[in-house]
Amino acid sequence: MPSPATATSVLRVSNLSKAYNGILALDGVDLDVRSGEVHALLGGNGSGKSTLIKVLAGVVEAEPGAVLQLGDRTEDLGSWNSDKAYAAGLRFVHQQPAVFSDLSIAENIAFGTTFPKGRGGKIDWKALNARTAELLARFGVEASPTTPLGALRAADRTRVAIIRAVQDREDADSGVLVLDEPTAALPASEVELLLASLRRYAEAGQTILYISHRLDEVLSVADRVTVLRDGHKVATVDATGLTEGDLVELIVGRPLDRMFPEPTDAPDADVVLSARGLCGGPLTDVSFDLHRGEVLGLAGLLGSGRSELLRMLFGAYPVSAGTVTLGGREVRFATPSAAMAAGMAYVPEERQADALFQGNSVRHNLSAGDAKAYFSKLLFRHDAEKRDSADSINDFLIRVGVDTQPVETLSGGNAQKVVLARWLRRQPAVLLLDEPTQGVDIGARAEIYALVRQATRAGTSVLLVASDPEEMAHACDRVIVLRSGRIAADVRPPLEAHRLTELVNLAERAS
Amino acid sequence: MTTTPTPENVTEAVPAQRTQTASPVRQAPARRGPGAFVGHLLRQYSLVALLLASLVFYGTWSETAEVFNQAANFQNIAGSQSVLAVLTLGLLIPMISGNLDLSIGSIAGLSSIAAAGAYADAGVPLFVGVLFGILMGAVVGLVNGLVVTRFGIDSFIVTLGTASLILGGVNWYSKGNSIIQGIPQEIITFGGGLTLGIPNLVYVLAATAFAVWYLLEQTPYGRNLHAIGSNKAASRLVGIRVERDTCVAFVLSGAIAGLAGVLLLARSGAGNPQVGSAFTLTAIAAAFLGAASFKLGKLNVLGSLVAIFFLAVNITGLQFAGVANWISDVFTGLSLVLAVAFAGILSRPKKHKAAVSDGPVAPAPPPEPSRA
Repeated sequence: MPSPATATSVLRVSNLSKAYNGILALDGVDLDVRSGEVHALLGGNGSGKSTLIKVLAGVVEAEPGAVLQLGDRTEDLGSWNSDKAYAAGLRFVHQQPAVFSDLSIAENIAFGTTFPKGRGGKIDWKALNARTAELLARFGVEASPTTPLGALRAADRTRVAIIRAVQDREDADSGVLVLDEPTAALPASEVELLLASLRRYAEAGQTILYISHRLDEVLSVADRVTVLRDGHKVATVDATGLTEGDLVELIVGRPLDRMFPEPTDAPDADVVLSARGLCGGPLTDVSFDLHRGEVLGLAGLLGSGRSELLRMLFGAYPVSAGTVTLGGREVRFATPSAAMAAGMAYVPEERQADALFQGNSVRHNLSAGDAKAYFSKLLFRHDAEKRDSADSINDFLIRVGVDTQPVETLSGGNAQKVVLARWLRRQPAVLLLDEPTQGVDIGARAEIYALVRQATRAGTSVLLVASDPEEMAHACDRVIVLRSGRIAADVRPPLEAHRLTELVNLAERAS
Repeated sequence: MTTTPTPENVTEAVPAQRTQTASPVRQAPARRGPGAFVGHLLRQYSLVALLLASLVFYGTWSETAEVFNQAANFQNIAGSQSVLAVLTLGLLIPMISGNLDLSIGSIAGLSSIAAAGAYADAGVPLFVGVLFGILMGAVVGLVNGLVVTRFGIDSFIVTLGTASLILGGVNWYSKGNSIIQGIPQEIITFGGGLTLGIPNLVYVLAATAFAVWYLLEQTPYGRNLHAIGSNKAASRLVGIRVERDTCVAFVLSGAIAGLAGVLLLARSGAGNPQVGSAFTLTAIAAAFLGAASFKLGKLNVLGSLVAIFFLAVNITGLQFAGVANWISDVFTGLSLVLAVAFAGILSRPKKHKAAVSDGPVAPAPPPEPSRA
C-alpha cells in the first residue's frame, strides 16, 4: 500500500472518450495512477480496457477534451502520439511480446534502444553483453546474455520483454510500465514467478498499470483496482480486503439475462455423445455425456485443455486413450472429414486463421468443404449454390450486400455468422463451438446464441467453450469445468456467473 | 448476478436486435454509377484492350504493318505460343492451391527428350511416345507432390530442386545433344500443320484450356483448391483433404507440362535438352499477369491466355520493327511489374492475394521461349 506521502499521481487521465463509428467505446473515463503502485485495470470484453491502453500508447486518437496529466505536465490526449508517450516514460508490454526467439537475450534487449557501437560502427558485443548481464541481474533473471531467448521459460521471456521496455529508465519515479495481460500466455506454474517479480519492481519504485482478467492475480498483486464496464468507469477501489466476488460484481453488474435466450425446456434424456476416459495433449481422463438438444458449457481457463477437447472430438487432435460414443456407436475420428460424415460440426476459436477463406466470396465461404453437394451430372450447380447462399444469409441474419463480396469485408459478427451458417445448415448432430462470440459485438452475440438455441430445438446438441462466465451462465443448460486437463466440476442449473468464475479460478489456484 | 433488469438496459428479446445498428455492415467499396461501372470494366478488361490496341498498332505502323498483317505471322505466333500457354495452364493448378511449381519447364524438356528417345531408341508407336512423355511429367509431379505434402517442405524449394535435378538428368541422358533422328514424321507434320487455317497446336491448347477451366471453376476439386490456396488450416477443418488434393495438383501440373513437352517435340521436330527451364519463368510471369485481368487479383485461365498472347504480339511486333532481341526480356519483365502493380492499385482495398501469396516470386526477365 502506498502511504499517503508517496501517493502522488504519476498519470492522471480525465474525461477520456473514444467513439468507433458513432459507438462510444470509452465514455468520459477517468483514471488516476499513483507513484509506485500496481494499479489493475479490469473489465469484461468490450469494456474499453484495450481502447484505453491504445489511447495511452498513442496508437488510437481520443475524442477532443481528454486530458492527460503526467506528474506536473498536462497534455492534450487529442494530439497524443506514440513518440510523445515514449518520451513521457510510458512503456508497454503486450500480451504476446514482440520478442525474437532465435536471437540472444542481449540482442533482444538491444532492439529496445540501440546496439552500442565500437570502432567503425561495428557492434560492441562486449559492452552490450556486459550491460545486458547487469540488467538481468537487476531484474532477477538468471540467464546469460548470449542465451537464445527461445531457450528461456515463458515467464522469463516476458521478463526480458519488460527489461527491454524499461531498460533506459534508471529513475523509475516518473513513467509507467503498462502490462497488457502479461500472464495470458504463461503456463499456470510460471504465473506466480512473474507476479513475484512484478511485486519486486513495484517495491523498487516502478509504477505499474496491470491489465488482466484473472481476478486472483489482480488481488494478489494490485494495490488499487479500476473497473471499466461498457466504456464507463465503474469504480476505483483499494484492493485490500476485496474478494473475487466483489470484483465480479463490479465487472459484470448488469442484467444480461435478457440478452440470451434462457434454456426453455429440460434437455432430452437421450445421450447423443459421450466421452469416457479421454486422454491426449493436456487432457487426462475426461468423461462426460452430451444430451440431445442440450447446450453443454465447457468452462476453464486458457490452457485448461478446453480447445483441445473440442478438436479431439472433431478428429483434429490426437487422442491417446479413451472412447467416444456417438449415437450409441463407438467412434474414433482420424480426420475432420470423418467426423463431419458422422454429423459433427466445429466452429474454431480463431476465426481468421482457422475458419474464414479470405479473398473468397461469402457464398463460397458458406459452402466451403461442401462443394460436392453441388456437383451433379458433370456440372457444378451454381444456381443451387446461389439459392442456398441466399437462404443462409436470410436464415442466419447475415448482413451483406451481395454474396459475391469477399468475406473479409464483413464485420466480425457477420463473419462469425457465416461460419456458423456453414455448419448449422448441415443440421449437425453435434456442434462444437469454441469462443463463438470472440470479437463479436453484443448485438450479434445475442443473435448467435439465438441461432444456436434454434438449432438445439431442431435436435442439435452443442458443446460450448466461452471465456465469459456471464455468457456461459446464460447460454448453457449445464456446465462442466476443466481444471488442468481434468473435469473438476459438473454445474447444473441454476447457473450463476460468479459461481462459474469462482470454480474456474479456484481450480487454477488449487493446481 | 442474473436478475434485476434496470429500465435503461433491458434489451428486447433477441429477434428485435436485428434492426439495431450495433453491427454496421461494412459494405464493399460502394462505387456505383456509370463512371464506376466503366472503371470496373476498364480494370477487368485492360489487358484485353491492350492486346487489341497492340494488334491495331503493329497492323498500321509503317515499320511493321507489311509483315505483321500476314496470316503466316498470326499462325506463327499462335503455334509457337501454344506450348508455353499449355505449360502456363498446368502451372495454374498448383498455384491456385498456394503452391508454386518451378519444375514445369524442366519437365517439359524431360518429356520432349523422353518421347524423342522412346521414338528414336525403342521405336515405339506414335501414341505410346506421347503417353510416355505425359506419364514422365506426371511421375515427376507425383514426386513433387509427395515431397511437398509428406515432408511439409515449401513447394518453392522442392520444385526448384527437382527442376535442377531433371535438367542435370536430361543432359546426362542426351549428353547435351538434341535428338533429331527417328522422330516420327506424323508428329512433326502435326506440330507444324494447320487445320482450317489454324495451327493444330492451337486446338490442343483450346482443349487444355477448357479442361483446366472446367477443373478449376466447375468441379468440387477446383473449389477445394481455391480454398486450400486461401487458408490451409481452415480447409482441413471443413473436411478438405489438403494433402491429397495438393499432391494431385502437382501430378496434374506435371502431366500437363509433359504434354507441353510433347507439343514442343512436335513443333520443333527434335528433343532438345536445352529448352525448358526458360519456359518456367515466362509461364509464372504470364500467370501473374493474367491475374490482373478478368477475375481481378485471382489467377485465372482466360487471363493467362490473354497475357501470353499480349506478350507474344508485342515482342514479335517490336522484333519486326528491327528492335534487338533483348527487347523481349525487357518487355516481359516490364509488363509483369507494371500490370501487377496497376492491378494492385486499382483493386484496392481488396488485397492482391494471388500475387503475394508465394513469397519470393520475382522472376528475372526470362529468356524468350523457343520460337522455332
